[in-house]
Amino acid sequence: MSVVILLAIFLPIIAGTVSLVQLAGKKNKDEEPSQEQLTKLHYNVARVLLITAALAIFAAWRSGSENGVTLFYLMKDIPLYFHIDDVGRLFVTFISIVWVLAGIYSFEYMKHEGKEQRFFGFYTIVFGVLIALCFAGNVVTLYLFYELMSLTTVPLVLHNGSRESIMAALKYLFYSMCGAYMGLFGIFFLYRYCDTLNFVAGGTLNTALASGNTKILLFAVFMMLVGFGVKAGMFPMHAWLPTAHPVAPSPASAVLSGIIVKCGVLSIIRVVYYMVGADFIRGTWVQTAWMTLTLITVFMGSLLAFKEKIFKKRLAYSTVSQASYILFGLAALQPQAMTGALLHSVFHAFIKSALFMTAGVFIYKCHRTRVEELPGVGREMPKTIWCYTFASLALIGIPPASGFISKWYLAEGALNAGIGAYGWIGPVVLLISALLTAGYLLPVTIKGFFPGDAAKESYENLEPSRLMLVPLAILAALTLLLGVFPNPLISFAGKIAASVM
Amino acid sequence: MTFVQNFPFICIIMTLFGGPLSSILGRKKAKVLNTAIITAVGLMNLAVLSFVIGTGESYVYSMGHFPAPWGNEIRIGVLEALMAVFFSVIMLLSILGGVKEREEQIEESKQNLYYIMVNLLLSSLIALIYTNDIFTAYVFVEINTISACGLIMIRQNGRTIVAGTRYMIMSLLGSGMLLLGISFLYGLTGELLMSNIHEAVVKIVAEGRYHDPLIVSLGLMSIGLAIKSALFPFHAWLPDAYGYSTVSSSAILSSLVSKGYVFLLIKIFYRVIGFDIVARSHIIDVLFVFGVMGMIMGSVSAIRQSSISRMIAYSSVAQIGYIYMGLGLGSTVGLEATLYHVISHAATKSLLFIAASGLTEVSDDSTDFFDLTGAGYRNKLAGLAFTAGSLSMVGTPLFAGFISKLLFAEAGIGHTYKTLPTMIALAISTVLNTIYFMKTVIRLYTPERQKVEEKKHFTRIHWWNEPLKSATLVCFIALNLVLGLGSARILFLIRNGLRMFG
Amino acid sequence: MNAGWMAFAILFPILGGVLIPLLPFGNRKQMLIYVESVVLLNTLVTVNLLLHRPQEVFTAFRFTGYLSVSFHIDGLGSVFSWIVALLWPLATLYSFEYMKHEGHEKYFFMFYTVTYGITLGICFSANLLSMYFFYEMLSLVTVPLVMHTLSRDAILASRTYLYYSIGGAAFAFIGMVFVLKYGSGLDFVPGGVLDENLIGSNKNVLLLAFVLAFCGFSVKAAMFPFSKWLPKAGVAPTPVTALLHAVAVVKAGAFATMRVTYYSFGADFLRGTWAQKVVLALTIFTIVYGCSRAVKETHGKRRLAWSTVSNLSYILFGVALMSPLGLAGALCHMVFHAVMKISAFFCAGAVMYKTGRDYVHEWDGLGRKMPKVFTAFTVSAFALMGVPGLCGFISKWQLVRAAIDSESVLGYVGIGALLISALLTAIYMLTVVIRAFYPGKSFDYSTLEGIEDPNWMMCLPLFCFTAAIVIFGIHSAPLVEALTSIASVVG
Repeated sequence: MSVVILLAIFLPIIAGTVSLVQLAGKKNKDEEPSQEQLTKLHYNVARVLLITAALAIFAAWRSGSENGVTLFYLMKDIPLYFHIDDVGRLFVTFISIVWVLAGIYSFEYMKHEGKEQRFFGFYTIVFGVLIALCFAGNVVTLYLFYELMSLTTVPLVLHNGSRESIMAALKYLFYSMCGAYMGLFGIFFLYRYCDTLNFVAGGTLNTALASGNTKILLFAVFMMLVGFGVKAGMFPMHAWLPTAHPVAPSPASAVLSGIIVKCGVLSIIRVVYYMVGADFIRGTWVQTAWMTLTLITVFMGSLLAFKEKIFKKRLAYSTVSQASYILFGLAALQPQAMTGALLHSVFHAFIKSALFMTAGVFIYKCHRTRVEELPGVGREMPKTIWCYTFASLALIGIPPASGFISKWYLAEGALNAGIGAYGWIGPVVLLISALLTAGYLLPVTIKGFFPGDAAKESYENLEPSRLMLVPLAILAALTLLLGVFPNPLISFAGKIAASVM
Repeated sequence: MTFVQNFPFICIIMTLFGGPLSSILGRKKAKVLNTAIITAVGLMNLAVLSFVIGTGESYVYSMGHFPAPWGNEIRIGVLEALMAVFFSVIMLLSILGGVKEREEQIEESKQNLYYIMVNLLLSSLIALIYTNDIFTAYVFVEINTISACGLIMIRQNGRTIVAGTRYMIMSLLGSGMLLLGISFLYGLTGELLMSNIHEAVVKIVAEGRYHDPLIVSLGLMSIGLAIKSALFPFHAWLPDAYGYSTVSSSAILSSLVSKGYVFLLIKIFYRVIGFDIVARSHIIDVLFVFGVMGMIMGSVSAIRQSSISRMIAYSSVAQIGYIYMGLGLGSTVGLEATLYHVISHAATKSLLFIAASGLTEVSDDSTDFFDLTGAGYRNKLAGLAFTAGSLSMVGTPLFAGFISKLLFAEAGIGHTYKTLPTMIALAISTVLNTIYFMKTVIRLYTPERQKVEEKKHFTRIHWWNEPLKSATLVCFIALNLVLGLGSARILFLIRNGLRMFG
Repeated sequence: MNAGWMAFAILFPILGGVLIPLLPFGNRKQMLIYVESVVLLNTLVTVNLLLHRPQEVFTAFRFTGYLSVSFHIDGLGSVFSWIVALLWPLATLYSFEYMKHEGHEKYFFMFYTVTYGITLGICFSANLLSMYFFYEMLSLVTVPLVMHTLSRDAILASRTYLYYSIGGAAFAFIGMVFVLKYGSGLDFVPGGVLDENLIGSNKNVLLLAFVLAFCGFSVKAAMFPFSKWLPKAGVAPTPVTALLHAVAVVKAGAFATMRVTYYSFGADFLRGTWAQKVVLALTIFTIVYGCSRAVKETHGKRRLAWSTVSNLSYILFGVALMSPLGLAGALCHMVFHAVMKISAFFCAGAVMYKTGRDYVHEWDGLGRKMPKVFTAFTVSAFALMGVPGLCGFISKWQLVRAAIDSESVLGYVGIGALLISALLTAIYMLTVVIRAFYPGKSFDYSTLEGIEDPNWMMCLPLFCFTAAIVIFGIHSAPLVEALTSIASVVG
């Protein structure tokens, strides 16, 4: 069994590295690859992605997969340890789906960005890293792959090599590092005050050891929340998102928003529910501060998105806001809220990837980046815009689309959490934010189909090729389907939440 | 009484008469005679030293067969013999190392005079070391002053005249105060022989009489000798006197003359008054403060100099500061450190002066730092010697300076409230020393452009061109290393000597 | 193994070095072979010594009755000796290629080889005086290396270097004398030699002496406010900046503080006193200060030098925690930082050697032309940042573990400083890496025509160091355990 896990992790990493080394060894690096070479590359990448995804999902869901794998010992008592549990299963599944779909989407999209081999090299490496992150069995392993994720996604962001994108990539990198180091700060303390660094549902904090040092420990936990919150775009460390997304190639933005942000969430889940334990922070200033930060982020993100005119930036702000929905659910420290948070992680991954893919289509087909340029676009590419609309509805939370369900659980959880005023402030903020979401997403559809004064005489058909359209459609369909048939997912998420509290 | 015991007396007499004798000899012969006398003095003192070590106690040698208080006597112990040996060695090396400069810089007719002065100086130094009679000491102090003046002024270029005159005035002021102090003491005790004075003083102190006159007398003597040995702030005469005179003179003056006075002061403290009485008076604190200030201020001034010889001269001010600081600690350990430093500084400072002369020689006789750039390549041995000397001054292990620094520090720690000032002064002074000595060394090894060298008439000298000077430099370096590595032996002698000194 | 071999290992390179300008070499190659064989032979002797450590103390000579220069290899000394002995031959190999364009090679290799012996002297010293002695010698013999190019900058740098290190030694000297006075001798004894009965009411004076000694020795380890000399000395040829100013000389400073803290004054005496707080605060400040200066610096080697300033203070921070764990962390970082920083310096040197470009903003796009060098540079950058899986993370972990164990506020602040420094490290290292690989769309590669990776003499050391960084990163347990057990004796 362990072989499958390791294979799922290291196959893409090795494949990507080999591809990059081969690229580095090439004599003439600026030469455009021929069509034939390109097709070959695409096939190889597709093969690797699919096999990896299959392996990962197989490894995750196969019965008897609870046994961990120890790769080697980083230090005497700190192994590099992989272990599969329910949270890992959930995350690895949706990550694999999105990653493969976005990969397929980029075969076409990346043609206009160039340097495909480099892009796909890093793209596959990151896939392996992400799987490892989901399967990480202790906090140091998690941290290792968390940092690797930051480092290996940087080339995706600065892919086009413009000055702007390099600066954005550096900003992204430094925010991530800053967050990672804040996380590390906490990990140091966990090492001291936990029985083991392995993830155990409910936490492993040694209460006897910790009792005298609650203050510093709470501070450390807070640092970790803020630190890992950087990846999840939590205020005050959210600024990298709107900078990095617009300059990155669209498939990269799609996975950054859909997946990478979720890895921040995953880390926080691990820390709060599997290391420290919800009980330790319940009712402390940490919980209050955390909830405050998330609510600020939810509201601020939506507001900024509403005001933003650059489409991808608008979506980035939307991610800021939506990721904090999830974090708010986690911060409530209540099973229902956590169920909602987990559901929203999944839904948002699909939704936001779909939205960014749409943005990619605009850029790829007609070089439009600003919202003002979009009226009438529905007539040019109706299928795309329909997909976009479904995803938008889901994000706003209109039943029966998926977002509704997660938000319902979030709100209900908040009300039952016994967190005082936050119990009603939270749902209210979520509601206002949902309205704002509608305000910034739907106009694209409306203006797209009904351009009004801006209508043109005739519209050429700009519908993208199947390679782009199919992944988009699948994701859009998923957002709808999961809303209609949510029960298996809800019960699974509920199981996870029940196991940790 | 064995024959060896006569040696100290013979030394004094021989050098005293060597002076007049030189005046009637030819230039060359005077030189040879002078060298021979110094060598003989060195050897004889060595014999005395080994004799005293053998017997393990000091002895008194009466001149003429009158007992005290009428007769005059000298007293010989390990410490005295050690100093005498050492002074003659340094003297010899300094004389040999500066032959060329001397012959160039001093008028031919005056060369004989030079040897007279050197002989007299040595004679007075030996006498100061050995004498047990305070008035005799005074007499030789005066002889010392006059001959030192001669050594300064003999290189006649306006500046040395001024410097010599200044030196003369300050020195005479010092001598005057010394004389005053001695006469006070005589008035109080009615004795001139040191041991007798001591007995009387102990009695006076025990009876609690004449406290103030005694302190005044002690103060006068201390200050007098401090002026003469250029303790800060009475050092103004020193840089010119050392900086402009011919190199042998500078070396001798800086390493021996001032040390002679210091030795006399130690003698007064230890033998005449009694060290415990001195340690209780506040004079010693004053000396300590001036010493510490001298350490710092001397170095600060040295940093500001633009001429290498003046820099070395100012460094002497700092080193004298060390010596007085050691005295000022008022403990036997401090005294040991001081005595060791007298020796190590003498060895180092004369090395530096002679090495510097070797360096200026290849830099068109300019002592300006700017012209010394790259001099270490033009005269390799001198450069090496200067480096060794600098390292010793800075207090690098292996060299003599390190041991004295170590001893001072140890002595400093023993004291209650002077610990911190001592330590901090030592550290700061080391840093300052580093700054000016190492700056010079680095300059010596910064290569000068060929063109500039030609334009400025810089030359090159190899060690075989000046065998005598090279030999001296090598001897000096070796001496420094011996002092640095074999300090245990010397310290043993100093301790033994101090034991039989009082 | 006979104890006399210790003296041999120290004297052999000194003699071998001094002979270099005197021997009549036919050509450059002969000299290189001679130098490398001297160094290698000495490394063999040293390694053999370390594998069969002589138990007795070897006294070379005595200054006075109780002051002697003696050698003895204990655990702490052996750690430093291992670093020195293994890095020296590699660095020498590198310098053969590098020094081609610097000139005056004979003198360079003379001092370079002599330094080897003297550094070993510091490792093997059995008492404070011996260490002080070799410490001063080290300052002196490395000055010619710093002023090697004889340019104005080099002269000024060597002056500053000398003032700082001898000045520092002067303060360390004070500490030494205090130990002599209040202890049972100068020998290094785990746990310190101070004698309770002698100390009496002088505790504060003694603590002051400790602070002076610590600061004095850490001048070489470039602790604030004595850090200025290190970046200045970056004008020296790269093998010097790499081996001496990232490893031998500066680590000697750190090593000396370890000796003073744990083997002379004793951690028990110092723990919890104001003296500990002072030195801790200084090291913490330096950790951040060095990094911030590195961010501001655009000269490649000087930037790395500032980074060294900060990293050395990691070590000093570990030392100042005054616990066996802290010492273990410090030792760990001493080993790992040596590997990481020398690798980074060699990369910088390779770039300067191949392109003559000193400033980091001139390195844009070089990643493509010199892939090997820049891969090595990237790895060392990641390691310096503390990416897990590379060795920097391990040592940081050990240090922090000790800091948390100390349960003191300054310890916690120190952890924060370490992480801030890691972030700053990311900034100053990764900007270089990213711009080297991604110079930007409009970058004109034709300006880099003809630039390529250097030859094997430069690449082999780089490869070794990179491999070491990774191997130590993923398999550090035996080493860390060994270091911990070495450090445990001082508690």
